[in-house]
Amino acid sequence: MRRFFILLWLYRQKVMRNTFNIISAVVVACALFLSVSCTPGSCFEETNSYLKATFYRTSQGKPVPPDSLSMYGIGKDSAVYKKASRVQPALIPLDPSASACGFLIRINGVDDTVSFFYSTFTHLISRECGYTFFHDLDSLAYTRNIIDTILIKFRTISTFNEPNIFIYY
Amino acid sequence: MNRIYSYITDISPVSRCNTYLLPCMSSRCIMTLRTGQATRWITVLRTIMTFCFIMTLFLLPGTAFSQAGGNAEVKDSVDIPLKIRTGIDITGPAIWFTDKSILTAEAYISTDLNEKFALFLGAGYSDYSYSQYNYDYLSKGSFFKAGMDFNLLRPEIAAGKYWAGIGIRYGISSCLSETPSFTHENYWGSISSAIKPYRIMGHYLEISPGFRAELFKNFSIGWSVNLRKLISPGQKKDLRPLWLPGYGSGESVTAGAAYYISWNIPYRKIRVGLKKDEPEEYYDDDESGGSREDRSYRSISGSGAGNRLR
Repeated sequence: MRRFFILLWLYRQKVMRNTFNIISAVVVACALFLSVSCTPGSCFEETNSYLKATFYRTSQGKPVPPDSLSMYGIGKDSAVYKKASRVQPALIPLDPSASACGFLIRINGVDDTVSFFYSTFTHLISRECGYTFFHDLDSLAYTRNIIDTILIKFRTISTFNEPNIFIYY
Repeated sequence: MNRIYSYITDISPVSRCNTYLLPCMSSRCIMTLRTGQATRWITVLRTIMTFCFIMTLFLLPGTAFSQAGGNAEVKDSVDIPLKIRTGIDITGPAIWFTDKSILTAEAYISTDLNEKFALFLGAGYSDYSYSQYNYDYLSKGSFFKAGMDFNLLRPEIAAGKYWAGIGIRYGISSCLSETPSFTHENYWGSISSAIKPYRIMGHYLEISPGFRAELFKNFSIGWSVNLRKLISPGQKKDLRPLWLPGYGSGESVTAGAAYYISWNIPYRKIRVGLKKDEPEEYYDDDESGGSREDRSYRSISGSGAGNRLR
């Protein structure tokens, strides 16, 4: 919009009434565009897609993050979260090489397991960042020690910020 | 000088700009700084030569225009030869000479319809490869462009030899896109995968302001800046192409430049009348500025309508 007003001002100042001036201005603008396009090739975007889980207190019916949250992928030694507090939403990484994966979720010291069933597809993030995997969540299964229910809100698991599931506990 | 050299070698294709970082941070530049005195001198000489060559390319048409303007005589009409023009874009091979990962070859044919309008048909081939720390990419295919060129010069200045105006084209790009390998890492480990070759048919619009001048009899050179808008990438958004032949990187808008060498074949002459303006009733000196000698032109052959050109 600012460029438009600059051009309008130039026109009013009779600078751009000549054809050559107009063409030259377009050429210079294009050259500027070229130089602006030459940005360094660094990746500043999120490259991992996570299943976003928002925690709800069943008794209160509103989003309440757990006081303590631990999360381990089944078959993995390392933790996604280890006694983390006030995590909202929890970012759960799915396994792109499989069509299902499970997690041990410890909410306020009580263990539950959640299994996710999904399909995976490739997504180009950008030229700088390359490719990642997105998922379509088909279904899930879970134990009910502290978890009351899990609702699927948005099935596409991507690098964007939509919440995918609501965990009521 | 290193900065200029780095800039000149990097500026041509937009896509390559991402490969190199800021002008003085490019790997080529860093390497140059680390080599000995002899290499430095060679680099400086190459810089000067490259700079002179590019300046020559850009200034030649301008020189021709200035000559044309000076020789223009005030007449009632001028004879304009209509031509069939065929040429090649030399920026593609020039870029390939410095960077073997992009090969673009483009040729075109255009036919003058009258002193202002010309039909344009272009076609080309592109072979592109790109490699980054976590993926490789290949694209190979051809493209076709069709559209119109509008000459904004006055007929007595253009005289069938000079062109300054804007081209508008519609382009179709067809290519085989492939990602031979890519790696992705997350909590579950590192995964290597590949995307098999798949066919893409992209569509785009191109606006090309530029200049062209006849240097010798029936031999023209000229350059244009090309702004392109992608209409359809030809693929769902998850796997949009990184490179489309004739279009460039898969962004929604791209820009590029072309330098054409053309051979012209005159096929017909038309006489274009120069009609003087009637003096205006309410003449405003401030508004008119230097346009007192403006005229409107009418194609005597009947193919062109009377058009006011500035």
